[in-house]
Amino acid sequence: MLIFVQRLGRLIFVFFVVTFVTFFLLDQAPGDPAERFAGLNATPEVIEGIRAELGLNGSLLERYLRWLGNAVRFDFGDSIVTRGFSSWDLIRESLPKTLELMVLAEIMAIGIAVPLALASARRPGSFIDKASSSTAFGLLALPAFVLGIYMSFIFGVKLGWFPTIVDNLPGLNDDPLDNLRQMFLPSLTLALNLVAVYLRLLRSDLIETLQEDYVMLAQARGLSERRIMWRHVLRPSSLNFTTAVGLNIAGLIGGAFIIEVLFAINGMGRLVIQSVILEDFNVVAAVVAILTVAYVMMNFLVDVLYSILDPRIRHATR
Amino acid sequence: MLVSTRRRTLAILVSGALIAAACSGSDSADAPTTTDIPATATDAKPADTPDGEPAATEPDEPAPLEDGDQLTSEGEGNVDLASLKPVAGGEITFGLTNDGTGFDTTGAVAPGSIRVITALNDSLAGLDINADWQPNLAESIIGNDDSTSWIITMRPGLLFHDGEPVDGEAVRANLQAFRDSPIVGFALGAVDSISAINELSVQIDMNVPWAAFPHVLVGQPGWMVSPATIGTNETFTGTGPFMLESWTPGDGARVVRNPNYWRADEGLPYLDAINFKFLVDATVKRQAFEAGDVQGYIGPESEDIVDFLADDATDVWIGTAGANEYLWLLNTTAAPFDDLRVRQAMAHAIDKQFIIDTFRDGLTVPANGPLNPSDRWYTENNYPQFDPAAAQALVDEYEAEVGPIEFELSIEPNASVIEVAEVMMSFLADVGIDGTIKEIGQGQSALTAILDDFQAFSWFQFGSPDPDGDYVFFHSSGGFLNWSNLVSADIDAGLDAGRQNVDEATRKAGYAQFLQALGDEVPMIWVDHLNGVEAAVTLPELHGIGTPGTLPDGSASLPMTNGSFFAWSGVWIEQ
Repeated sequence: MLIFVQRLGRLIFVFFVVTFVTFFLLDQAPGDPAERFAGLNATPEVIEGIRAELGLNGSLLERYLRWLGNAVRFDFGDSIVTRGFSSWDLIRESLPKTLELMVLAEIMAIGIAVPLALASARRPGSFIDKASSSTAFGLLALPAFVLGIYMSFIFGVKLGWFPTIVDNLPGLNDDPLDNLRQMFLPSLTLALNLVAVYLRLLRSDLIETLQEDYVMLAQARGLSERRIMWRHVLRPSSLNFTTAVGLNIAGLIGGAFIIEVLFAINGMGRLVIQSVILEDFNVVAAVVAILTVAYVMMNFLVDVLYSILDPRIRHATR
Repeated sequence: MLVSTRRRTLAILVSGALIAAACSGSDSADAPTTTDIPATATDAKPADTPDGEPAATEPDEPAPLEDGDQLTSEGEGNVDLASLKPVAGGEITFGLTNDGTGFDTTGAVAPGSIRVITALNDSLAGLDINADWQPNLAESIIGNDDSTSWIITMRPGLLFHDGEPVDGEAVRANLQAFRDSPIVGFALGAVDSISAINELSVQIDMNVPWAAFPHVLVGQPGWMVSPATIGTNETFTGTGPFMLESWTPGDGARVVRNPNYWRADEGLPYLDAINFKFLVDATVKRQAFEAGDVQGYIGPESEDIVDFLADDATDVWIGTAGANEYLWLLNTTAAPFDDLRVRQAMAHAIDKQFIIDTFRDGLTVPANGPLNPSDRWYTENNYPQFDPAAAQALVDEYEAEVGPIEFELSIEPNASVIEVAEVMMSFLADVGIDGTIKEIGQGQSALTAILDDFQAFSWFQFGSPDPDGDYVFFHSSGGFLNWSNLVSADIDAGLDAGRQNVDEATRKAGYAQFLQALGDEVPMIWVDHLNGVEAAVTLPELHGIGTPGTLPDGSASLPMTNGSFFAWSGVWIEQ
């Protein structure tokens, strides 16, 4: 229990540090949003009033604490560029798409990597092992933006199986088929880079586990190979794999940004890029805050998963 | 201190407007585009293209512009002309390069928003096939003898999308709000007062004669929205053929047919709906088009244009008037560009054709000033041409007298533009001019220029169909918008003659004087008119994008493939 409290404390500390540094950096940027709002003929009093309205008055610390107080209520201020929308409006529109992209990519990556790793580990040096290893290295060498263009060209332009852009994406509840059809190529593109990492990692751990005495015992007792692999080998071999999955979920945020541009997905990546270019700092601060929370939460969950997968860790923390 | 603060405030505000006002020309991502707010653009029908849009769909087949050097369309050659009657119905997805930031008609409107607004809006004035203004939403626009007072009279019975009447008071409210806007009001700087004089008419009094005034009503000042929504950013309640159904910042907008459109008796608009999709990346746009996910898009790369021109299954529409120019601004109040010899030497040193052949696939046209050779106001001038020996002589003379020539070029962080600038730098280095590149922040061009915080500046702008649209950027009265800070009696006199006179010959003489002075004084280093860079590509089944539409009186309107007056009402798709 103590360890969870400690990790939670660490999470909150990281959140404060990252958001404060972001706030500080944005504060150093040139330009005064209040003056932009106020207009050419505005008096200094009017500008001051707008500054107060936007929460831009006071010292940096005061403004940060005020922003923090509002942020915990999901009030991140209005978008300065797309007036009429709050930062949270824009995030609420974008976040589900990025999350769906990341989740689908992870599911695809795990769905491809685990069976391939099991097959490779079972017969090291076999054709399937060599073929999957070669393909994995090839995929690893291809950056997502190159892979995405190829995928889009082959499956979208040439074969016409999937759309090359995500447009008017329906909700998963509203039209799951159209949703998944539109999200298939971007998710697969993001997943394929992960497959290579997961496959190599899991394969080597599986081979190591297969050398353990208890596996030989299981074989001697006549358990089926499938049962041994899935029930007795995969789980103890999954610790590094789980670490990688956890870290990659956070890392996926970066990859998702590229994929969102390639497939015209209106996700968090596109939002933050656009906001930085247009100096829509309220939105930038809000996105950074949300991503920070997501990142540290993800690492927290991975820590929890460790102890579930490996009882030794759980016991060690008692 | 106060002066400094206010100047900075002014700079920030106006820069926002100017940056956004890539409105006429460019959806290209190169965008420190600072085109005049009211600008529109045109796409000329090719004099040498046999297979334009068929007469069957265009009852008043107009004469093409005198535009022999511009390829403007291709494709549609194998289509049975008789079958090409406009068909009502259907919806399309159309790719835009730039994101929209909102629809506030009194603010800086981003290029992506402007493309959407062209479907939601009918401007007070339109442009006919000769790029002359004509009444559009307004029934008449009539000036007094010396063009110091204008009366705009609206058509009876017009309604906004929300059912409110488009009457004299609504027009007054819109124009007044625009005039009062600290961000865009400079475009109506010559307007003294605006008053509704009866139910349908508005009188606009000027502080100087302004014969070309109706031209600005083609663009943003002429956009009319329901008075209750003036200043609203998240929606556009206009009078156009389509109504805004949804807009998702960063993603796109969907517009649907206006069932109460004032030209519905002409069968307009044809389409049921248009999905505008913002596609930033050039490769993504092209692949989406080739996969059929979008039926057309704006702003293809020049190498894509070359490919599409060779492809009969694609129509390419390339505008001329309305195309921006690429140039370098020179700050003529600061060394070394306060010396004419240095400016002339730079112009002599740079091989424009090399840049066009190398970076634009030969699609653009060398520039000697802001007016395109295909423009009817264009006249030749004595702008210094590529002549390294002449450049070297001028440099030697200056250096013997003053010393080495060194300067900084301010430029936004755009790799393709920097690439061109570096090549230009190498030309200058060949004659002993030492330039370095200074990257400024994205979107900071106009702000930096307004603050005069530059020696030379990599720049995209101009291209107004009527040269009066570029008045403030050259005239000494333009103040901080007179980019190069050059005060030239000839430039002022020429621009004033063009602004204040109705007679075409007098106007042309004025603009000739203006162009000549630009060539003699060299306040800018001109590179090219970006005709080919600002184009649209469409599927052959999609019609009406690059071909003339019709004005309310039945005459042909200018097809404005790259302008703010994109005639979406006449666009239709084969079913």
